[in-house]
Amino acid sequence: MQRRNFVKLGGAAAALQCLPSIGFSQQGEVFRIGSLTPITGAGSPYGPGMQQAIRLAVDEVNAAGGAGGRKLELFTEDDQTKPDAAVLAAKKLIEVNKVQAVLGTWASGVTLAVMPLTDAAGIIQMNVSGAPTISTLDTKDLVWRFQATNDRFGAAFAEICAKRGFKRPATMAFNNASGLGNVEGFTKVWEKRGGKVAAHVTYEPSRPSYRSELQKILAAKPDVIVMGSYLPDTTIILREWFQSGADNQWVIPGWAANPDLVKALGAEVCEGIISVETVSNEKSTSYAQFDAAFTKATGKAASTNIYAAMAYDMVISLALAMEAAGPKATVEQVNAKLREVSNAPGTAVYSFAEGKTQLGKKAKVNYEGASSKLDFDKFGDATPDFGVFIIEKGQLVRRDVVSITV
Amino acid sequence: MTWIAFANLLINGLIEGLVVALPALAMTLVMGVNRFPNAATGDFLTTGAYAAVAVQMLGGWPLWAAALASMAATAVVSAGSYTLIFRKLAGRPMVSSMLAAIGLGFLLRSLISFFAGHDQRTFDLPLVRAWNFGGVRLLPTDVAIAGIAVLCLLVVFVLIYKTSFGRQLRAVADSADLARASGIRAGGLMLSLWVLVGALSAIGGVLLGMKAIVSPEMGWESLIPAFAAMVLGGIGSPVGAVLGALLLCVAQELAVPLLGPSYKLVLSFVVLALVLLLRPAGIMGRVQLVR
Repeated sequence: MQRRNFVKLGGAAAALQCLPSIGFSQQGEVFRIGSLTPITGAGSPYGPGMQQAIRLAVDEVNAAGGAGGRKLELFTEDDQTKPDAAVLAAKKLIEVNKVQAVLGTWASGVTLAVMPLTDAAGIIQMNVSGAPTISTLDTKDLVWRFQATNDRFGAAFAEICAKRGFKRPATMAFNNASGLGNVEGFTKVWEKRGGKVAAHVTYEPSRPSYRSELQKILAAKPDVIVMGSYLPDTTIILREWFQSGADNQWVIPGWAANPDLVKALGAEVCEGIISVETVSNEKSTSYAQFDAAFTKATGKAASTNIYAAMAYDMVISLALAMEAAGPKATVEQVNAKLREVSNAPGTAVYSFAEGKTQLGKKAKVNYEGASSKLDFDKFGDATPDFGVFIIEKGQLVRRDVVSITV
Repeated sequence: MTWIAFANLLINGLIEGLVVALPALAMTLVMGVNRFPNAATGDFLTTGAYAAVAVQMLGGWPLWAAALASMAATAVVSAGSYTLIFRKLAGRPMVSSMLAAIGLGFLLRSLISFFAGHDQRTFDLPLVRAWNFGGVRLLPTDVAIAGIAVLCLLVVFVLIYKTSFGRQLRAVADSADLARASGIRAGGLMLSLWVLVGALSAIGGVLLGMKAIVSPEMGWESLIPAFAAMVLGGIGSPVGAVLGALLLCVAQELAVPLLGPSYKLVLSFVVLALVLLLRPAGIMGRVQLVR
């Protein structure tokens, strides 16, 4: 009897715990957002800042009186940069918290694992992942990407190589979707411009040495090698390349050619490497406002975490779409407005409050984001600008910004 | 393919093979005497590499001194794991020891990433340009790596084939009961074997870290090639493990012009399958059985 009583009590307590949230959600006055960013794991340098940015944007929208007559309510989870953990967390957000949008997935593997859940639930998914397949697997047009695809990184590499007058590029790619996406995007655009790719090597990860791969590619005598790679393999390849004494240039994505690479190899090896990373919409007022708020909240400049600005834009564009869709709009109706409030034509607006005022006057708006101009294509993908950084004396120095047209 | 390209690939293969030979030898020693595949060998490698990194970072020691310190540290870890885990499982079926080894590997890896993080690390080692002999390039670092590996292999072989320690070890490997009956005390012998395995793994880890990078997964990822080399050479045969490692890595590198780098791994397993089909005991397996 004792035990049965305990079970009953426990059950009642659990039921009671659920009550407040049920009561709250029944008011119908909130739009529930789930933040699913990598707080731990490989994405942990970025996830906490992204979560902070989402919170800032939610506060901003609520301070402006909410969107479409509704306040935003935020639930946060850690995706651990692992697909399995992310699926569990997304299930919790969808089934327990009843969120209407899941924002902030970072790794492509995580986004690909979470997409089927959000699609099945008919809710919005926003991410900063690079894998090109995310575009094509998104059949319901509920998935929005705020970072450039690997394909577009490749296109930017081609633009940069052309601008710098390289004639004989060769490509090396890590054998996965991201690495191959980079160099295939490069090859497509480079050949469309009438250029030729001297050699291509796809390599397997976790090798103790890449000398034979290098030997193969250097035999084609390239003037530049375009990479689709990660930090560990890049470290080994560049060390062996330097030791072998070749003198070609390198174009490497920013997640591999970063201060950690310089730390591992030293300034001499890294001298002159061209590192390419997307950059925020730095000249916009939206970025200035976000930078100020982010710096105040975290003590770090927004430029230290490009994904934070993207996460911020997720909430603002979502809120503008809610405002445009009007009160009591369904998730589907809100989703349908996302392109309209972000893309041209329309009055350029730089904050939620500005957009809300314009929408109140029945004007069309075009949100110019903190992360990019934020124009979504037919796949729901935005294309930020690319910064061209050259490593000089161990420092990454920005020399150029290129935009690509898709 | 010119002979110069061929020679370069051959050199790559030999050096990679020597790096793989150390963990393969460590694994085959345990397999021969304790009769289970020590799946934690890879993580002993990682332990060794991280110990050396730690000593370099904290003490600012040169790499050779850090490597010696890491040999001692890893030997303690290895002997400790034998005393605490594998000795207690000695009478059980092979699977229980193997599963315990997998678990131990996970534990070591988690401890390392908990304390050192997931970021890659490198040894403080000067970069030197390659010597160029008319197109045949030789990296001084690689020469050092090969030299150290060969030296370690020689030391181990002298220990096994020329000392009473080795004779007792081989006696236990042949028949533990018979060895005990003839007065060999297995306790201290086993402990020395695991000290040797730990020290050997530590050097393997340092060499791998010199060539590549130091990360929590480095050893685990090199476990499969080492395992393949051990099987190819004939399970339990020290000479076989070294020959197997060299053969696999050279075959892999020489396949690059034919198959391309993405498929060279496949070829090494084709070699493995072929040898096992033609010689089920592995290259040196029979010798071991006859003796």
